[in-house]
Amino acid sequence: MFSLLSASNIFYWIGKIIRFINSIFFVLLLVALSFALIFSPPDYLQGDSVRIMYVHVPSAWIGLASFTCIAFLSIVNFIFKIKNVTLITKSIAPLGLMFTCLAIVTGSLWGQPTWGTWWAWDARLTSMVILSLFYIGFIVAHKFISQEERANKISSIVAIIGLINIPIIKYSVDWWNTLHQPASIKLTGTSTIHSSMLMPLFLMFFVLLLYCALIFLMKYKTEIIRIKKKNLKRL
Amino acid sequence: MIQNLISMNGYGFFVWSSFVITFFACALVFYKTQKTLKKYEKEFAKEINELSAEKRKLVTENSKIASQVLSSYSKTI
Repeated sequence: MFSLLSASNIFYWIGKIIRFINSIFFVLLLVALSFALIFSPPDYLQGDSVRIMYVHVPSAWIGLASFTCIAFLSIVNFIFKIKNVTLITKSIAPLGLMFTCLAIVTGSLWGQPTWGTWWAWDARLTSMVILSLFYIGFIVAHKFISQEERANKISSIVAIIGLINIPIIKYSVDWWNTLHQPASIKLTGTSTIHSSMLMPLFLMFFVLLLYCALIFLMKYKTEIIRIKKKNLKRL
Repeated sequence: MIQNLISMNGYGFFVWSSFVITFFACALVFYKTQKTLKKYEKEFAKEINELSAEKRKLVTENSKIASQVLSSYSKTI
């Protein structure tokens, strides 16, 4: 069982999974894009501008999920000091930052035709900007602090503090009066979005998740090689 | 039909910009990540090849990762 989790086995399987994702990714992307841009219906109020939802919502979900993941793994790392956990959080962070920024930019592009403004300092938008700042803090700590242990400690603290922002983002639309609409998709209770839009949304989310898995595995593989390279110099 | 797809009933600029920005950013990150991975693989394989025969044997026997990188690198050249 433990031999399955050895670095060399993980490395071997990462290669296999990357090849598998590469082989199915473009077909799935094409299907998802067809549904998002052609087959899904326009909204009765927002018209075709609703199609921005198919990139905006998955980006925001991924941005939030990545940071939650980083924060919980940082807590684990803070207590147990597992080196592998650091590699994982370091590999997730750039992806999370990219999707958070994409959620902000696509949200702004959706805001102009819907609200009549590119930007408003309302609770949801501001808390998303704060999330991106936490991501930047986490990445900068790893990039500019040469002492690895200190970098891990500082980045973990940034991630744990940043965790407070996650429920604020989630409930900002309920706690404050915001321009942003309340959640249409609920984990508990009935969603207020029609299945003809929900299906393409989940499909696009799945495709972007596959993309994240691909980039994460490539980054993780790079980190493993970087460590092995370092060890080689000690010979 | 194509005209409708492009104009999106007047929302074309906003819709297409969102999709183009998203997928351009994704493609850029993919390209950069792949380039970095290949660079590290190449450098690692090169460093192993530069070792003395005795050390190289020791590394490839003890590290499956080193032998995997070495074999995949030799396949690409």
